[in-house]
Amino acid sequence: MEDIKKTYIMGNQHVEVLKGINLNIEKGEFISIMGTSGSGKTTLMNIIGCLDVPTSGRYILADREVSRLTDDELSVIRNEHVGFVFQNFYLLPYATVLENVLLPTLYIEHQMDGSDKRARELLKLVGIEKRARFKPNQLSGGEQQRVAIARALINNPELVLADEPTGQLDNKTTEEIMNILTTMNKQGKTVVLITHDATVAGYAEKVVHIQDGIIIELP
Amino acid sequence: MDRLFNLLSQSIRAVRAFKMRTFFCLLSVALGIASITTIVAATEGAYKKALDIVERFGPDALLIFGGGEEARAVGQRQKTITLADVEAIKQAFDSAYMVVPMTSIGNITVSYKNKKYQTRIIGSTSDYSHVWTWPVIQGSDFTEEDVRGLQNVGLIGQHVVKELFGEEDPVGKYILVNRIPVEIVGVLIERGTSPTGVLLDDRIILPITTVMRKLQNETQYVSALRVRFYDQKNLYYYVEELRSFLRNRHGIPPEDPDDFTIISPKEIIKFLVALTGSLVAFLGVTGVISLIVAGFVLANLFLLSVQERRQEIGIRRAAGAKRRDILVQFLGESVIITTSGGIAGFLVAFAGKELLTLIAEFPIEFSWKAFAAGLFLSWVIGIGFGLQPAKRASDLNPIEAIRG
Repeated sequence: MEDIKKTYIMGNQHVEVLKGINLNIEKGEFISIMGTSGSGKTTLMNIIGCLDVPTSGRYILADREVSRLTDDELSVIRNEHVGFVFQNFYLLPYATVLENVLLPTLYIEHQMDGSDKRARELLKLVGIEKRARFKPNQLSGGEQQRVAIARALINNPELVLADEPTGQLDNKTTEEIMNILTTMNKQGKTVVLITHDATVAGYAEKVVHIQDGIIIELP
Repeated sequence: MDRLFNLLSQSIRAVRAFKMRTFFCLLSVALGIASITTIVAATEGAYKKALDIVERFGPDALLIFGGGEEARAVGQRQKTITLADVEAIKQAFDSAYMVVPMTSIGNITVSYKNKKYQTRIIGSTSDYSHVWTWPVIQGSDFTEEDVRGLQNVGLIGQHVVKELFGEEDPVGKYILVNRIPVEIVGVLIERGTSPTGVLLDDRIILPITTVMRKLQNETQYVSALRVRFYDQKNLYYYVEELRSFLRNRHGIPPEDPDDFTIISPKEIIKFLVALTGSLVAFLGVTGVISLIVAGFVLANLFLLSVQERRQEIGIRRAAGAKRRDILVQFLGESVIITTSGGIAGFLVAFAGKELLTLIAEFPIEFSWKAFAAGLFLSWVIGIGFGLQPAKRASDLNPIEAIRG
């Protein structure tokens, strides 16, 4: 990631949120991006997750320049290469746990068999295989986040992007969720964790700080 | 294909999940489609009935009344056609295989034993039952000799049989027609009611000579004339020929209207279709209005739904859904709802048909055409009014959408 800038136009004002980010994330790395609210970390996450494109700069994801892709091409990248885990879980309320996990498989370019089996394996991996037929509102927060993690992994992406994944959870559950993410990382996934919580950030191998749109070195 | 199937299965999922939205959209579409399919069915029914009647009365036949177009009500017709006209037509038109004059008097009291009844007396020739394709089911027609000899013999309609004879066999019995004894020689098959509400079985047919001399004291004028032609294809050409032939005989100057009226099968159809026209117009207006209302209900509920489901749209986009995928899903939801509404509407119309036929005898004929029209319209509504909300859903920015 080189010299990423992002400017929002609000009325006639140009607000530069990211002022030139240079960041290199190696494959298989577990990295935390820390910053207070308003520091630009969410914008950075959106760009890393291909939900948004930078105003300028270059972003290479899995050997591919993605900063100038079209909306459709970005959708394909998100589908194949990125798994999202959000603070508020973001599960579909009217779908079952299993259907939620399978959601990204609906949008695969070339359909393949065995998604169902894979989804069940993932649910087992995160420890809630018995809840497959439940609706999200029948689950606790920790369980919902496990579903979200299983969903993030279903298309076997290289990159797992977790935005405050434990913001809604108590300490014990936080530990469990972080352990799952650590396990994922051990199995070869690149994990990017965005948080303002130093304890959570501590699970990562590397921590970078962002403040006012640039990455700063801590004293 | 797999992808489309996946997206539509998501649509079905959402249709089932958002029950209130589904219910209201479905209801409003169903009402609109119900009236539209009823219209199609009623129009079709009217045509079918008209064709039935033409088929029954003879598609090769013309009916000529005395009097112009203005005075067509029974009893108000002027008598302008004479027996001489009838003879002249027989001579001049080789293409006609039957030319049968008729004369008619209403409200004649007939009696059998101590039973009395008022009915219509028709005077005609021995060809009456043939020219109207109206078979005699008991006994037989009266003969040419009966007509020539002014015999007091007659055919009787089913309704009069019931009134005078009940279960008794009328053939060979004598009844009094205006104090003249008449022998019943045959019974006509049941015909039911004409589209104008006249009970056709309420009549007695006597030889035209008998009626004219003994009941009407008339020597030349008849009420009507029925002509059947060999060549059905040229029927409308014969209409014109007959018209100029009669105008000529009656010495009508070119600027004056006809003093007779020729009824062809085409006119019977026109008349019958006009009869159902008022129902069609009424249902047409309500149908179109309710379909438009249904469309707006759908569009509004879907716009609300899109607003409510911003987060879902964001989640799907983050999971890799393209704009088009979202569009297809929401459009699918709307088309699935309107299609079900269309089918429900068709069923409502089907039930409503029973109700309508109870109130009045409207010929309503449901067929695949009415069904196809309803289905097609429900797709038009589904796509037409669902497109804009679906477009709005697909155009949402994923980042903003997911924040709710």
